[in-house]
Amino acid sequence: MACGARRDDAKEVERVPDGEIERLYRAFVETDPATAIRVVEQVRSSGVAQAELFDALYVPALAMLGDAWARREIDELSFTQAAVVAEQVSSFVMPPLARPDTGVSVVLGVMHRDHHSVMKNIIAGALKEAGYRVFDLGIDVRASDFLERVEETGARVVVAFAEMLATARAVAGVRDLLDAEGRSEVVLLVCGGPFAADPSLARSVGANGVISSAQGALDVLERVRRDLLEKEAG
Amino acid sequence: MPRSQQAVIAEGLARQGRVAEAVAACYEALAIDDRDPATHALIAELMLGEDFYDEAIAAATQAIELDPDCSPAYLALGLAYDRRGGMWDQSVLVWHELAEVVPDLVIAHVQLGEAFAAAAFDEEARDSWKRALELDPHQSRAHYNLAIDALKREGMTTALPLIRTAGALDPSQDALFFSLTGLPAREPFGDVAADAPREVRYAEAVALARAEDFFGAVDVVRGLLDEAPDDAKALALAGFCYLKQEATNEAMACAVRALALAPDMTEGMYVLGTTYAQRPGLAKHAARVFLALAKASPAEPLAHVLLAEALLGLQRYRQARAAYAAAVALDPSCVRARFGLAAVLFSEGSYAEAQWHIRRAAYYDTKRLGVFWDLFDRYVEGGAA
Repeated sequence: MACGARRDDAKEVERVPDGEIERLYRAFVETDPATAIRVVEQVRSSGVAQAELFDALYVPALAMLGDAWARREIDELSFTQAAVVAEQVSSFVMPPLARPDTGVSVVLGVMHRDHHSVMKNIIAGALKEAGYRVFDLGIDVRASDFLERVEETGARVVVAFAEMLATARAVAGVRDLLDAEGRSEVVLLVCGGPFAADPSLARSVGANGVISSAQGALDVLERVRRDLLEKEAG
Repeated sequence: MPRSQQAVIAEGLARQGRVAEAVAACYEALAIDDRDPATHALIAELMLGEDFYDEAIAAATQAIELDPDCSPAYLALGLAYDRRGGMWDQSVLVWHELAEVVPDLVIAHVQLGEAFAAAAFDEEARDSWKRALELDPHQSRAHYNLAIDALKREGMTTALPLIRTAGALDPSQDALFFSLTGLPAREPFGDVAADAPREVRYAEAVALARAEDFFGAVDVVRGLLDEAPDDAKALALAGFCYLKQEATNEAMACAVRALALAPDMTEGMYVLGTTYAQRPGLAKHAARVFLALAKASPAEPLAHVLLAEALLGLQRYRQARAAYAAAVALDPSCVRARFGLAAVLFSEGSYAEAQWHIRRAAYYDTKRLGVFWDLFDRYVEGGAA
């Protein structure tokens, strides 16, 4: 058995117990998915994190497989069958798909009389994927609907979208309602062309910040999340 | 269709890209026969290529007035309206007309959808792209447009797989691999002896793979590996062949082994990065590999595009934009980079700029596919589309 892959990948596999990579490789070649899964489980229980299994265990075993095929230690059919077993095991070694829940709830929607939904959809998607709990109220949302959903969900952040000057100014109504109902600690963020064009507008409607893009939303929300954590810790 | 000698000369010059001479020949042809729609359509195409939109519109309109079935004129007119901007209503009508004159012309439906989308008729736009995909399921631009549409409605998570699907249909990605091998394009010789020098056999294997004879290519690679199982380039080529046959794990096995032997080999990076990009959850891995590839091959536009797509998967929109911009700077006709950049620009709320890139992509795509000349040939041969 060629061990070139093991030698070359030594840095990657140092946390995997000795012999486990070769055991996984053997399970592939012997078309034994049950053993392959057992190896994965044992390596995980030995302390290798789920996020590291792919690099530390699976990839070196595949490299051994490629090496064995190149050296004709296994034939074409065995190579294909081993690849099928590797496929069956792959879901056990993949890094976690979802990002960890940030614990921060965000209520967002497009202001009343405004139907420009593109930016709201893009930002809602980005925040959801980044682990925020997003409550998307859609378009044409009244100030009272924002407040109602904040009270229902305990959300700490509201993002109001407005692409017209009149609807952008109406965001002041959201802040007024939040303050009136004792929710002035809720972070109010705004997004839309009028706010980008006139930076003072956001301040005048009582917003805590402006979002200008999906990347900007992720950056701002990360800062908000850190601030909230610090406040809670303090 | 009887045409003057001057008209034929103008056409020949235009095909050679000798624009000024072709335009002069066109006007000489019109002096002989000013009612030749094909010559007016040709002037429109030439003017469009030089960004003289008003002149292109005038010439194409003249061609259509002379013959309402003059399909190449509709193409030039529609593209001129789109690139001039602000003429969505006329553009929609023209693409409708073209789709009626040449019902099997897939690109007419794609363009019609883009014109609808620019005019904010999203439902109609989707229908047009779906119609295009009914006619040709491999129409990559229809997929790109549907990806942008998905982005606007649901965000990047939904859009990204569609962008990747479109990319996989785009032949330019394979071209990147062959470019990385450093070998010129050629047909396989078919009779390379088993005892020929290794580099000759490797070149033959690459030529077979380029000709999509993947079994033949792997056979030659097998011979190379039997002599030297640690031949990283042969392993990477085997990985590419498996990748093309949708055998992802075999491809990954070959690629990781190849990179273990030669960590800086760009062909191996390409194969490994592509296998990672095909699997959900491995965006970070793909980004790492494609970043190395883009650094190792900074002059390859597609390397930057692949990196950008992996970065989108990681929600690193700013970095993705830079990578897409690098690709567009290297190759302004790269449709995949233009659409990707448009996607990032949508995520920044820069809709007008995004639409501009989509319009540029449309122009380059029709040019790359030779749609004008295809329609022109059919028109002059048949007297109608």
